[in-house]
Amino acid sequence: MGSFKYTFRDAARLVIRHWGLSLLTVLTSMSVFYLIGASVLLVLNTRHIVNIMEGELTIQAFLAPETSADVVAKKAAALPHVTKIAIITPEIALGRLQVRVEPRMPNVLGFLADDNPLPWSIEVSVDRADGVKGVAEALSVIEGVADVVYAVELAQKLANFSRFAGQFSVVMLLVAITASAVVLFNTIRISVYSKEEEIGIMLMVGATPTFVAMPFVIQGIILGGMGSLGASVLLSLSYNGIMARLKDLLPFLPFLERGMLVAKLGVILVGSGATLSLIASLLAVEAFTRRAMKPL
Amino acid sequence: MDIRFSGVSKIFYPDITALEDVYLEIPKGEFVYLVGPTGSGKTTLLRCITREVAPTRGQITVGSFSLRKISRVDLSIFRRDIGIIFQDFCLLPHLNVFENVAFVLEVLGAPPREVKERTGEILDQVNLWRRRFLYPPQLSGGEQQRVAVARAIVNAPSVLLADEPTGNLDLHTAEEIMQLIISINALGTTVIMATHNQYLVDAYRQRVIGIRSGRIVRDEKRGRYNLDGEL
Ligand SMILES: Nc1ncnc2c1ncn2[C@@H]1O[C@H](COP(=O)(O)OP(=O)(O)O)[C@@H](O)[C@H]1O
Ligand SMILES: [Mg+2]
Repeated sequence: MGSFKYTFRDAARLVIRHWGLSLLTVLTSMSVFYLIGASVLLVLNTRHIVNIMEGELTIQAFLAPETSADVVAKKAAALPHVTKIAIITPEIALGRLQVRVEPRMPNVLGFLADDNPLPWSIEVSVDRADGVKGVAEALSVIEGVADVVYAVELAQKLANFSRFAGQFSVVMLLVAITASAVVLFNTIRISVYSKEEEIGIMLMVGATPTFVAMPFVIQGIILGGMGSLGASVLLSLSYNGIMARLKDLLPFLPFLERGMLVAKLGVILVGSGATLSLIASLLAVEAFTRRAMKPL
Repeated sequence: MDIRFSGVSKIFYPDITALEDVYLEIPKGEFVYLVGPTGSGKTTLLRCITREVAPTRGQITVGSFSLRKISRVDLSIFRRDIGIIFQDFCLLPHLNVFENVAFVLEVLGAPPREVKERTGEILDQVNLWRRRFLYPPQLSGGEQQRVAVARAIVNAPSVLLADEPTGNLDLHTAEEIMQLIISINALGTTVIMATHNQYLVDAYRQRVIGIRSGRIVRDEKRGRYNLDGEL
């Protein structure tokens, strides 16, 4: 129990004694973890949007007259990335057209009911935006397919952005974590050197290297933990604000809701902040005690 | 804890021979003066015992510890049984007298009540209880060295190493410290004291080991500082 008290008292003293450095370290790890959190939210949101939009990715293949829709549907079903096929009869097509046009021009299509000029078509659902173009090309060469229509631009852009966001966030994560680890490592090292004399005496009277390391590790965890905690709070506040604005701006995009998501992210951020600082400070102080205990 | 050196040599990079082929046996409870000119290897010998210096050749055992291959944790445990005093005291200036001594017990994980009691006892023993709230710079040299002695013995070590402990003190104060060290030895602690103080060595007759250029040149049961005009 005596050593617990010593450890925490000393860790607190270290934080206070180097308050300027402590503040700087907390601010740095706070910005780093804020960046990490923000990029995670960006990725999660684009993934979510892409997923939902991909659920609606369809290709229309219009059939030549006298073609069997069943045969074409069977061939289309064998293509990769195809998840669902619906056969659209001229009647269904007319029905859809009516739903769209009717409210503005009632009964304008009534005369078509007897002699429906619309062609048969099949509606192919694709699992990924990436796959749309390939499936469309494959469909267009199936015998009896007259024309293929799909939203190539949107699908492609979406797929590209999703991939970019993923890669960007991984790079961001690596850079940010490295930067934060380096800053923490340095702060702890400065603390260690400021107590060089004391550590020397501690090691000479028989304190174990682990015991010597403890206050510095706790100091690191306090700084890293405070940084990531601050980042989580800030993230939660700003996500709220940004979401409110984005929903006004882009009401049709299905963004992820706040609440649990940001809370979970906060827990993960604080956890990884503490772990990161534990490792960084352990490395900083271990390197020192190892050298100090090495005989001449 | 008996201390045994067998064939110990230390060559500092690149070619400074600080110890050469030292054989030495110091039984538990003995008092030993280490005498010799500056640069003869006294400090190096003491630092071999604390394993701040690793011999180039030879073996050192202290009690059941063989110092050639010792893990870091074992080294810590071993050092708890060795007290050290230096010529320049080496106190922590930002801790007061009480804290400088209590610190040792704290870092060894003693419970707070025991830290308080034991530190109080030791400060009484070195006659510093009334000075316990002062800081090292506020103390005289003799008082600072008494704090250092208190710190070295607070954990009741088996061995006390003193490297010119009176080197910075006037004769009267030196004698005070000497009597303190003698009293610690009387309680069973082995003492090895490197010194230049001829008066003390001749006044408090003990085993004397003479060392020159890293070699042991004499070893007398109840020796004197000088041997027939020779140092
Ligand atoms: N860390 C070191 N590196 C190189 N040489 C050293 C080191 N420590 C001591 N020496 C040399 O070893 C010799 C013995 O030194 P030391 O043990 O300090 O002697 P003493 O304590 O008897 O004055 C001296 O020549 C000294 O210069
Ligand atoms: Mg010396």
